[in-house]
Amino acid sequence: MTAELTTSQWHGSGNGTSGAALDLLRIVRINEEIKRVVAVAFKINIMALNAIFLAKRAGNAALGFGVLSNELRVFSKDLRESMISLTRLIHDLVAEVSVVLQESRQDALFRRTLAQCSGNPMLDSVLERRNAQHDSRAQRISGLRRSLRLAVDDAARLVELGGVLAKSAKIEAAYGAGFASSLGQVSGEFDGVVEEIRSSLEILRRSKFFGGSA
Amino acid sequence: MKTTQTIFEDGTHKWTAIVRDPAKPDYLIDTNEYLVQHAGQGLLLDPGGAEIFPAVFSALSAEFDPSKLTGIFASHQDPDIISSLALWLEFNPQMKCYISWLWESFIPHFGGTAETFVALPDEGAGISLAGLPLQAIPAHYLHSAGNLHLYDKQAKILFSGDVGAALLPPDKQGVFVEDFSSHIRHAEAFHRRWMASNEAKRQWCERASHLKIDMLCPQHGAVYQGDDVQRFINWFDELHVGVIRV
Ligand SMILES: [Fe+2]
Ligand SMILES: [Fe+2]
Repeated sequence: MTAELTTSQWHGSGNGTSGAALDLLRIVRINEEIKRVVAVAFKINIMALNAIFLAKRAGNAALGFGVLSNELRVFSKDLRESMISLTRLIHDLVAEVSVVLQESRQDALFRRTLAQCSGNPMLDSVLERRNAQHDSRAQRISGLRRSLRLAVDDAARLVELGGVLAKSAKIEAAYGAGFASSLGQVSGEFDGVVEEIRSSLEILRRSKFFGGSA
Repeated sequence: MKTTQTIFEDGTHKWTAIVRDPAKPDYLIDTNEYLVQHAGQGLLLDPGGAEIFPAVFSALSAEFDPSKLTGIFASHQDPDIISSLALWLEFNPQMKCYISWLWESFIPHFGGTAETFVALPDEGAGISLAGLPLQAIPAHYLHSAGNLHLYDKQAKILFSGDVGAALLPPDKQGVFVEDFSSHIRHAEAFHRRWMASNEAKRQWCERASHLKIDMLCPQHGAVYQGDDVQRFINWFDELHVGVIRV
Protein backbone atom coordinates (compact mmCIF):
# COMPACT_ATOMS: atom_id res chain seq x y z
CA MET A 1 0.00 0.00 0.00
CA THR A 2 2.70 2.46 0.98
CA ALA A 3 4.66 1.74 -2.17
CA GLU A 4 1.88 3.48 -4.09
CA LEU A 5 2.44 6.78 -2.28
CA THR A 6 3.35 9.59 -4.60
CA THR A 7 6.20 11.98 -3.94
CA SER A 8 3.75 14.81 -3.31
CA GLN A 9 2.06 12.77 -0.59
CA TRP A 10 5.44 12.35 1.04
CA HIS A 11 5.93 16.09 0.82
CA GLY A 12 3.17 16.91 3.27
CA SER A 13 0.14 18.83 2.10
CA GLY A 14 0.40 17.41 -1.39
CA ASN A 15 0.29 20.85 -3.00
CA GLY A 16 2.37 23.90 -2.37
CA THR A 17 -0.49 26.39 -2.61
CA SER A 18 -3.06 25.28 -0.08
CA GLY A 19 -5.86 27.65 0.95
CA ALA A 20 -3.83 28.84 3.93
CA ALA A 21 -0.74 29.46 1.81
CA LEU A 22 -2.81 31.50 -0.65
CA ASP A 23 -4.42 33.41 2.21
CA LEU A 24 -1.00 34.21 3.61
CA LEU A 25 0.13 35.45 0.21
CA ARG A 26 -2.97 37.66 -0.09
CA ILE A 27 -2.47 39.00 3.41
CA VAL A 28 1.11 39.89 2.51
CA ARG A 29 -0.16 41.80 -0.53
CA ILE A 30 -2.76 43.61 1.58
CA ASN A 31 -0.04 44.55 4.03
CA GLU A 32 2.14 45.94 1.22
CA GLU A 33 -0.79 48.10 0.09
CA ILE A 34 -1.31 49.32 3.67
CA LYS A 35 2.37 50.29 3.85
CA ARG A 36 1.92 52.26 0.61
CA VAL A 37 -1.09 54.11 2.09
CA VAL A 38 0.86 54.92 5.26
CA ALA A 39 3.73 56.35 3.20
CA VAL A 40 1.32 58.53 1.20
CA ALA A 41 -0.43 59.65 4.40
CA PHE A 42 2.95 60.88 5.68
CA LYS A 43 3.43 62.73 2.43
CA ILE A 44 0.04 64.45 2.85
CA ASN A 45 1.04 65.54 6.34
CA ILE A 46 4.18 67.27 5.08
CA MET A 47 2.39 68.74 2.07
CA ALA A 48 -0.37 70.10 4.34
CA LEU A 49 2.21 71.65 6.64
CA ASN A 50 3.80 73.46 3.68
CA ALA A 51 0.36 74.48 2.45
CA ILE A 52 -0.43 76.02 5.84
CA PHE A 53 2.73 78.17 5.64
CA LEU A 54 1.91 79.14 2.07
CA ALA A 55 -1.63 80.13 3.11
CA LYS A 56 -0.21 82.24 5.96
CA ARG A 57 1.98 84.09 3.49
CA ALA A 58 -0.96 84.61 1.15
CA GLY A 59 -2.87 86.18 4.06
CA ASN A 60 -6.58 86.98 3.84
CA ALA A 61 -6.93 85.74 0.29
CA ALA A 62 -6.09 82.16 1.39
CA LEU A 63 -7.93 81.90 4.71
CA GLY A 64 -10.22 79.14 3.42
CA PHE A 65 -7.27 77.34 1.86
CA GLY A 66 -5.49 77.44 5.26
CA VAL A 67 -8.48 75.90 7.04
CA LEU A 68 -8.67 73.12 4.45
CA SER A 69 -4.93 72.45 4.71
CA ASN A 70 -5.38 72.03 8.44
CA GLU A 71 -8.22 69.61 7.82
CA LEU A 72 -6.00 67.66 5.44
CA ARG A 73 -3.42 67.30 8.21
CA VAL A 74 -6.11 65.90 10.49
CA PHE A 75 -7.16 63.61 7.64
CA SER A 76 -3.58 62.35 7.29
CA LYS A 77 -3.45 61.59 11.03
CA ASP A 78 -6.83 59.80 10.98
CA LEU A 79 -5.74 57.79 7.97
CA ARG A 80 -2.54 56.68 9.66
CA GLU A 81 -4.52 55.64 12.75
CA SER A 82 -6.93 53.71 10.59
CA MET A 83 -3.96 51.94 8.96
CA ILE A 84 -2.59 51.06 12.40
CA SER A 85 -5.83 49.25 13.25
CA LEU A 86 -5.66 47.46 9.90
CA THR A 87 -2.07 46.44 10.64
CA ARG A 88 -3.15 45.03 14.00
CA LEU A 89 -5.77 42.88 12.30
CA ILE A 90 -3.19 41.78 9.73
CA HIS A 91 -0.85 40.76 12.52
CA ASP A 92 -3.55 38.62 14.17
CA LEU A 93 -4.44 37.08 10.82
CA VAL A 94 -0.83 36.22 10.03
CA ALA A 95 -0.53 34.53 13.42
CA GLU A 96 -3.66 32.41 12.87
CA VAL A 97 -2.97 31.55 9.23
CA SER A 98 0.63 30.60 10.02
CA VAL A 99 -0.65 28.07 12.55
CA VAL A 100 -3.00 26.68 9.89
CA LEU A 101 -0.04 26.29 7.55
CA GLN A 102 2.01 24.52 10.18
CA GLU A 103 -0.94 22.33 11.19
CA SER A 104 -1.68 21.41 7.60
CA ARG A 105 1.70 19.74 7.28
CA GLN A 106 0.98 17.71 10.40
CA ASP A 107 -2.52 16.94 9.12
CA ALA A 108 -1.02 15.55 5.93
CA LEU A 109 1.30 13.35 8.01
CA PHE A 110 -1.64 12.12 10.10
CA ARG A 111 -3.62 11.41 6.92
CA ARG A 112 -0.71 9.33 5.68
CA THR A 113 -0.62 7.54 9.02
CA LEU A 114 -4.36 6.85 8.71
CA ALA A 115 -3.82 5.43 5.22
CA GLN A 116 -1.30 2.99 6.70
CA CYS A 117 -3.26 1.93 9.78
CA SER A 118 -6.92 2.85 9.54
CA GLY A 119 -9.29 1.88 12.32
CA ASN A 120 -6.85 2.85 15.05
CA PRO A 121 -9.14 4.39 17.71
CA MET A 122 -6.36 6.59 19.15
CA LEU A 123 -5.59 8.00 15.74
CA ASP A 124 -9.32 8.64 15.19
CA SER A 125 -9.65 10.57 18.44
CA VAL A 126 -6.52 12.61 17.75
CA LEU A 127 -7.89 13.52 14.31
CA GLU A 128 -11.28 14.38 15.83
CA ARG A 129 -9.68 16.68 18.39
CA ARG A 130 -7.54 18.34 15.73
CA ASN A 131 -10.59 18.87 13.51
CA ALA A 132 -12.43 20.59 16.36
CA GLN A 133 -9.41 22.87 16.85
CA HIS A 134 -9.31 23.57 13.12
CA ASP A 135 -13.00 24.54 13.16
CA SER A 136 -12.57 27.05 15.95
CA ARG A 137 -9.48 28.48 14.27
CA ALA A 138 -11.38 28.78 10.98
CA GLN A 139 -14.10 30.71 12.82
CA ARG A 140 -11.53 33.06 14.33
CA ILE A 141 -10.01 33.64 10.90
CA SER A 142 -13.35 34.41 9.27
CA GLY A 143 -14.12 36.82 12.14
CA LEU A 144 -10.82 38.60 11.55
CA ARG A 145 -11.42 38.60 7.82
CA ARG A 146 -14.79 40.33 8.39
CA SER A 147 -13.23 42.89 10.76
CA LEU A 148 -10.49 43.63 8.25
CA ARG A 149 -13.02 44.13 5.47
CA LEU A 150 -15.03 46.53 7.67
CA ALA A 151 -11.87 48.43 8.60
CA VAL A 152 -10.98 48.76 4.90
CA ASP A 153 -14.48 50.13 4.21
CA ASP A 154 -14.09 52.64 7.07
CA ALA A 155 -10.77 53.75 5.61
CA ALA A 156 -12.40 54.11 2.19
CA ARG A 157 -15.05 56.43 3.66
CA LEU A 158 -12.30 58.45 5.27
CA VAL A 159 -10.57 58.77 1.91
CA GLU A 160 -13.80 60.06 0.35
CA LEU A 161 -13.67 62.87 2.89
CA GLY A 162 -10.03 63.49 1.96
CA GLY A 163 -11.09 63.70 -1.68
CA VAL A 164 -13.70 66.33 -0.86
CA LEU A 165 -11.12 68.35 1.09
CA ALA A 166 -8.66 68.24 -1.81
CA LYS A 167 -11.34 69.32 -4.30
CA SER A 168 -12.43 72.18 -2.01
CA ALA A 169 -8.78 73.25 -1.66
CA LYS A 170 -8.64 73.43 -5.46
CA ILE A 171 -11.63 75.79 -5.50
CA GLU A 172 -10.25 77.86 -2.63
CA ALA A 173 -6.92 78.18 -4.47
CA ALA A 174 -8.67 80.12 -7.24
CA TYR A 175 -9.38 82.89 -4.71
CA GLY A 176 -5.71 83.12 -3.77
CA ALA A 177 -5.09 86.36 -5.67
CA GLY A 178 -1.36 86.64 -6.36
CA PHE A 179 -0.81 83.21 -4.81
CA ALA A 180 -3.49 81.52 -6.89
CA SER A 181 -1.12 79.64 -9.15
CA SER A 182 1.11 78.26 -6.35
CA LEU A 183 -1.96 77.38 -4.24
CA GLY A 184 -3.46 75.75 -7.31
CA GLN A 185 -0.35 73.67 -7.79
CA VAL A 186 -0.41 72.52 -4.15
CA SER A 187 -4.10 71.64 -4.25
CA GLY A 188 -3.53 69.73 -7.47
CA GLU A 189 -0.88 67.68 -5.68
CA PHE A 190 -3.33 67.01 -2.84
CA ASP A 191 -5.82 65.72 -5.33
CA GLY A 192 -3.18 63.47 -6.87
CA VAL A 193 -2.08 61.81 -3.63
CA VAL A 194 -5.63 61.30 -2.39
CA GLU A 195 -6.30 59.62 -5.71
CA GLU A 196 -3.29 57.37 -5.08
CA ILE A 197 -4.74 56.33 -1.71
CA ARG A 198 -8.14 55.79 -3.25
CA SER A 199 -6.71 53.36 -5.80
CA SER A 200 -4.77 51.51 -3.08
CA LEU A 201 -7.95 51.07 -1.08
CA GLU A 202 -9.80 49.95 -4.17
CA ILE A 203 -7.14 47.24 -4.62
CA LEU A 204 -7.62 46.23 -0.99
CA ARG A 205 -11.40 45.99 -1.38
CA ARG A 206 -11.06 43.86 -4.49
CA SER A 207 -8.59 41.47 -2.84
CA LYS A 208 -9.33 37.78 -3.33
CA PHE A 209 -8.91 37.52 0.41
CA PHE A 210 -12.39 39.10 0.63
CA GLY A 211 -13.70 37.07 -2.27
CA GLY A 212 -12.82 39.74 -4.83
CA SER A 213 -10.88 39.39 -8.05
CA ALA A 214 -7.53 41.12 -7.30
CA MET B 1 5.45 0.66 6.22
CA LYS B 2 8.45 -0.14 8.36
CA THR B 3 8.93 -3.56 9.83
CA THR B 4 9.45 -4.46 13.44
CA GLN B 5 11.80 -7.06 14.79
CA THR B 6 12.03 -8.22 18.37
CA ILE B 7 15.70 -8.27 19.29
CA PHE B 8 15.33 -9.09 23.00
CA GLU B 9 12.55 -10.57 25.09
CA ASP B 10 12.36 -11.62 28.71
CA GLY B 11 8.83 -11.63 30.14
CA THR B 12 7.39 -8.13 29.76
CA HIS B 13 10.86 -6.74 29.10
CA LYS B 14 11.27 -6.38 25.37
CA TRP B 15 13.34 -4.51 22.75
CA THR B 16 11.83 -3.99 19.32
CA ALA B 17 13.74 -2.56 16.38
CA ILE B 18 11.62 -0.58 13.91
CA VAL B 19 13.53 -0.75 10.66
CA ARG B 20 13.59 -0.33 6.87
CA ASP B 21 10.77 1.10 4.84
CA PRO B 22 10.71 0.08 1.17
CA ALA B 23 8.38 3.02 0.43
CA LYS B 24 10.71 5.65 1.88
CA PRO B 25 12.07 8.00 -0.78
CA ASP B 26 15.84 7.98 -1.18
CA TYR B 27 16.28 11.63 -0.28
CA LEU B 28 15.45 10.81 3.34
CA ILE B 29 18.17 9.06 5.32
CA ASP B 30 17.10 5.65 6.59
CA THR B 31 16.77 5.41 10.36
CA ASN B 32 16.20 2.77 13.00
CA GLU B 33 13.88 3.39 15.91
CA TYR B 34 13.83 1.22 19.01
CA LEU B 35 11.01 0.54 21.42
CA VAL B 36 11.85 -0.64 24.93
CA GLN B 37 8.90 -2.20 26.75
CA HIS B 38 8.62 -3.15 30.36
CA ALA B 39 5.58 -4.00 32.50
CA GLY B 40 3.19 -2.49 29.96
CA GLN B 41 5.04 0.79 29.51
CA GLY B 42 7.12 1.87 26.54
CA LEU B 43 10.07 4.15 25.87
CA LEU B 44 10.76 5.07 22.26
CA LEU B 45 14.40 5.72 21.39
CA ASP B 46 15.12 8.31 18.68
CA PRO B 47 11.57 8.33 17.25
CA GLY B 48 12.75 9.78 13.93
CA GLY B 49 11.84 12.65 11.66
CA ALA B 50 8.34 14.02 11.06
CA GLU B 51 8.36 12.72 7.48
CA ILE B 52 8.70 9.11 8.59
CA PHE B 53 6.21 9.38 11.47
CA PRO B 54 3.41 7.58 9.55
CA ALA B 55 5.67 4.60 8.87
CA VAL B 56 7.03 4.43 12.42
CA PHE B 57 3.65 4.94 14.07
CA SER B 58 1.98 2.26 11.94
CA ALA B 59 4.71 -0.26 12.62
CA LEU B 60 4.81 0.53 16.31
CA SER B 61 1.05 0.48 16.85
CA ALA B 62 0.83 -2.97 15.26
CA GLU B 63 3.11 -4.10 18.08
CA PHE B 64 2.26 -1.84 21.02
CA ASP B 65 -0.47 0.54 22.24
CA PRO B 66 1.01 4.00 21.53
CA SER B 67 -0.92 5.51 24.46
CA LYS B 68 1.31 3.41 26.73
CA LEU B 69 4.39 5.26 25.54
CA THR B 70 5.53 7.15 28.60
CA GLY B 71 8.64 8.66 27.16
CA ILE B 72 10.89 9.42 24.27
CA PHE B 73 14.65 9.27 24.56
CA ALA B 74 16.46 11.51 22.09
CA SER B 75 20.17 10.82 21.75
CA HIS B 76 20.66 14.32 20.34
CA GLN B 77 18.92 17.18 18.56
CA ASP B 78 19.06 16.22 14.88
CA PRO B 79 15.89 16.37 12.73
CA ASP B 80 16.18 12.69 11.80
CA ILE B 81 16.13 11.96 15.54
CA ILE B 82 13.35 14.03 16.99
CA SER B 83 11.52 16.30 14.53
CA SER B 84 8.44 14.05 14.92
CA LEU B 85 8.09 15.03 18.59
CA ALA B 86 4.93 17.16 18.18
CA LEU B 87 3.16 14.31 16.40
CA TRP B 88 3.93 11.79 19.14
CA LEU B 89 2.80 14.24 21.81
CA GLU B 90 -0.66 14.32 20.20
CA PHE B 91 -1.14 10.78 21.47
CA ASN B 92 0.05 11.42 24.97
CA PRO B 93 0.63 15.08 25.86
CA GLN B 94 2.04 13.96 29.24
CA MET B 95 4.85 12.06 27.54
CA LYS B 96 8.36 12.97 28.65
CA CYS B 97 11.24 13.64 26.32
CA TYR B 98 14.67 12.80 27.73
CA ILE B 99 17.42 14.84 26.12
CA SER B 100 20.81 16.35 26.95
CA TRP B 101 20.40 19.61 28.89
CA LEU B 102 22.27 21.26 26.04
CA TRP B 103 19.26 20.91 23.73
CA GLU B 104 16.50 21.53 26.25
CA SER B 105 15.62 24.94 24.81
CA PHE B 106 16.26 23.98 21.17
CA ILE B 107 14.04 20.91 20.86
CA PRO B 108 10.82 22.80 21.79
CA HIS B 109 11.06 24.22 18.25
CA PHE B 110 9.95 20.72 17.21
CA GLY B 111 7.12 20.67 19.79
CA GLY B 112 6.40 20.13 23.46
CA THR B 113 6.15 22.45 26.44
CA ALA B 114 8.35 23.14 29.47
CA GLU B 115 6.79 20.08 31.14
CA THR B 116 7.73 17.77 28.27
CA PHE B 117 11.49 17.82 28.72
CA VAL B 118 13.69 16.01 31.17
CA ALA B 119 17.14 17.56 30.81
CA LEU B 120 19.86 14.99 31.28
CA PRO B 121 23.17 16.16 32.77
CA ASP B 122 26.50 15.68 30.96
CA GLU B 123 27.44 12.72 33.15
CA GLY B 124 24.23 10.90 32.15
CA ALA B 125 21.43 9.71 34.43
CA GLY B 126 19.26 6.76 35.33
CA ILE B 127 15.85 6.47 33.69
CA SER B 128 13.29 4.07 35.11
CA LEU B 129 10.81 2.38 32.80
CA ALA B 130 8.16 0.89 35.07
CA GLY B 131 10.95 -0.16 37.43
CA LEU B 132 13.39 -1.24 34.71
CA PRO B 133 16.65 0.62 35.29
CA LEU B 134 18.05 2.22 32.14
CA GLN B 135 21.13 4.40 32.05
CA ALA B 136 21.85 7.39 29.83
CA ILE B 137 25.55 7.17 28.97
CA PRO B 138 27.64 10.20 27.87
CA ALA B 139 28.67 10.23 24.21
CA HIS B 140 29.24 13.94 23.75
CA TYR B 141 30.70 15.15 20.46
CA LEU B 142 29.79 11.77 18.94
CA HIS B 143 28.61 13.48 16.92
CA SER B 144 26.52 16.10 18.69
CA ALA B 145 27.94 18.38 21.39
CA GLY B 146 25.27 17.10 23.76
CA ASN B 147 24.91 13.42 22.96
CA LEU B 148 23.75 10.50 25.09
CA HIS B 149 23.37 6.77 24.55
CA LEU B 150 21.06 4.46 26.48
CA TYR B 151 22.22 1.31 28.22
CA ASP B 152 19.98 -1.49 29.43
CA LYS B 153 22.13 -3.61 31.70
CA GLN B 154 19.51 -6.33 32.10
CA ALA B 155 19.15 -6.83 28.36
CA LYS B 156 22.86 -5.98 27.82
CA ILE B 157 21.89 -3.66 25.01
CA LEU B 158 23.48 -0.30 24.24
CA PHE B 159 21.50 2.06 22.04
CA SER B 160 24.30 4.07 20.45
CA GLY B 161 22.62 6.79 18.37
CA ASP B 162 24.81 7.73 15.41
CA VAL B 163 27.79 5.74 16.73
CA GLY B 164 27.95 2.50 14.76
CA ALA B 165 25.82 3.99 12.00
CA ALA B 166 26.27 2.64 8.49
CA LEU B 167 24.78 3.81 5.21
CA LEU B 168 23.94 0.47 3.70
CA PRO B 169 23.46 -0.30 0.00
CA PRO B 170 20.09 -1.69 -1.16
CA ASP B 171 21.40 -5.27 -1.24
CA LYS B 172 22.59 -5.16 2.39
CA GLN B 173 19.44 -4.42 4.37
CA GLY B 174 19.70 -7.05 7.12
CA VAL B 175 18.81 -5.98 10.66
CA PHE B 176 22.01 -7.52 12.07
CA VAL B 177 25.59 -7.15 10.90
CA GLU B 178 26.47 -10.37 9.09
CA ASP B 179 30.04 -9.87 7.97
CA PHE B 180 31.82 -7.26 10.05
CA SER B 181 34.64 -6.48 7.64
CA SER B 182 32.37 -5.86 4.69
CA HIS B 183 29.79 -4.02 6.83
CA ILE B 184 32.25 -1.60 8.36
CA ARG B 185 33.20 -0.24 4.94
CA HIS B 186 29.75 1.37 4.88
CA ALA B 187 30.36 2.93 8.29
CA GLU B 188 33.83 4.37 7.80
CA ALA B 189 33.13 7.57 5.85
CA PHE B 190 30.19 8.35 8.11
CA HIS B 191 32.27 8.10 11.29
CA ARG B 192 35.24 10.00 9.90
CA ARG B 193 33.07 12.94 8.88
CA TRP B 194 30.33 13.03 11.51
CA MET B 195 32.26 12.15 14.64
CA ALA B 196 33.76 15.33 15.96
CA SER B 197 36.46 14.51 18.49
CA ASN B 198 39.16 11.87 18.83
CA GLU B 199 39.40 12.53 22.55
CA ALA B 200 35.66 12.07 23.06
CA LYS B 201 35.79 8.93 20.94
CA ARG B 202 38.65 7.54 23.09
CA GLN B 203 36.61 8.16 26.27
CA TRP B 204 33.54 6.54 24.77
CA CYS B 205 35.47 3.43 23.67
CA GLU B 206 36.92 3.16 27.15
CA ARG B 207 33.48 3.49 28.75
CA ALA B 208 31.81 1.08 26.31
CA SER B 209 34.54 -1.55 26.89
CA HIS B 210 33.57 -1.69 30.55
CA LEU B 211 29.92 -2.38 29.82
CA LYS B 212 28.58 -5.85 29.16
CA ILE B 213 27.07 -5.44 25.71
CA ASP B 214 25.42 -8.22 23.74
CA MET B 215 23.97 -5.84 21.18
CA LEU B 216 25.01 -2.39 20.03
CA CYS B 217 22.08 -0.71 18.31
CA PRO B 218 22.79 2.31 16.09
CA GLN B 219 20.24 4.74 14.67
CA HIS B 220 21.29 3.97 11.08
CA GLY B 221 22.37 0.68 9.56
CA ALA B 222 22.55 -2.69 11.28
CA VAL B 223 22.77 -3.99 14.86
CA TYR B 224 26.15 -5.34 16.06
CA GLN B 225 25.85 -8.45 18.20
CA GLY B 226 28.16 -10.84 20.02
CA ASP B 227 31.83 -10.44 19.14
CA ASP B 228 31.02 -7.78 16.56
CA VAL B 229 30.34 -5.36 19.42
CA GLN B 230 33.95 -5.43 20.64
CA ARG B 231 35.14 -5.55 17.03
CA PHE B 232 33.29 -2.32 16.42
CA ILE B 233 34.66 -0.65 19.57
CA ASN B 234 38.23 -1.60 18.58
CA TRP B 235 37.72 -0.41 15.03
CA PHE B 236 36.25 2.90 16.21
CA ASP B 237 39.07 3.36 18.71
CA GLU B 238 41.61 3.21 15.91
CA LEU B 239 39.75 5.37 13.44
CA HIS B 240 40.93 8.96 13.05
CA VAL B 241 37.85 11.19 13.13
CA GLY B 242 36.90 14.85 13.03
CA VAL B 243 39.23 15.84 10.23
CA ILE B 244 38.15 17.69 7.15
CA ARG B 245 40.35 19.20 4.48
CA VAL B 246 38.73 21.78 2.28
FE1 LIG C 1 22.85 12.91 14.12
FE1 LIG D 1 21.36 10.16 12.67
